[in-house]
Amino acid sequence: MIQVKKETLYAGMLKGLLTTFDLAKIIIPVSIVVTILGKSGALEFLADFAAPLMRVFGLSGKAALALFSGYFINLYAAIGVILTLSLTLKELMIIGVMLMLSHSLFMELAISKKAGCSLFYVLLVRLIPSLLVGILGGWLF
Amino acid sequence: MSIFATLWEGLLNGISNVWSLAIIVIPIIIVLEIAKDNSILDKWSHKLHPPLKHLGLSENAVFPILVAFIFGLTYGSGVIISYVKEGKLSDYEVRAVGSSMALAHALIEDTLLFWRVGIPIWILLLPRLVIAYALVWVLNRIHAGRFLPSSVLAKFTFFNRKRVNL
Repeated sequence: MIQVKKETLYAGMLKGLLTTFDLAKIIIPVSIVVTILGKSGALEFLADFAAPLMRVFGLSGKAALALFSGYFINLYAAIGVILTLSLTLKELMIIGVMLMLSHSLFMELAISKKAGCSLFYVLLVRLIPSLLVGILGGWLF
Repeated sequence: MSIFATLWEGLLNGISNVWSLAIIVIPIIIVLEIAKDNSILDKWSHKLHPPLKHLGLSENAVFPILVAFIFGLTYGSGVIISYVKEGKLSDYEVRAVGSSMALAHALIEDTLLFWRVGIPIWILLLPRLVIAYALVWVLNRIHAGRFLPSSVLAKFTFFNRKRVNL
């Protein structure tokens, strides 16, 4: 039988609020930056620049912002970008699979290293499937 | 349009983005706390062990994988570290468990966050599980000396017991 204690509920609530606070610390700045990039036209510029690379995954140049913020910052940042930009469902699905396999690389590679894996190995087994799945998705969808 | 109006719009975007995630994240965390409190994963790892036996994993190895699946990479790695200290995992198991959890972790939180944006759940979940499984399968074959001499695994790979630390 599953027991639900009052203290557990409070602890969960508190932890949830703290996580929301952590999330806000990332998502609000990211959303502001993305909005500024969009309004100032800098996003178009970046998108044009990234477009050839993103085409490999069947993505528009804009999507690069979501992909890279997921790879290098974390999933919350990527979601902040995704929610602020308007991307198609096809793009969302491709970015989604790619980011599920590989995200928050700096942080998570460091954690995996603590558990005994080498950085290079973990980077390889996460990034290669992510890129391959992206290429496959771009080709399929 | 003034810079202030843009900043304001960005802030509002940010707040609404945070809100749309908070209503997913807070309930998940509460449910996870309840699960942890009831040590549900002990029971699950007992049940999940038989189908994973052919990968050369003991029940001790299944538990950290499950912890990572449900609670995330940090918790999973924490279990690896303490199990290594207690001598509960073989070298192969540490490698296999660490590899699989690098690919598949925080499956509930990550999946629901992206599902919220409109992505079908199976697209998010399936590739991670399949690729993590395939990776452990390959490691197991190498470990058994099938593809390459198993000394290769120890030499280049990827894992060194001395590297495990808190």
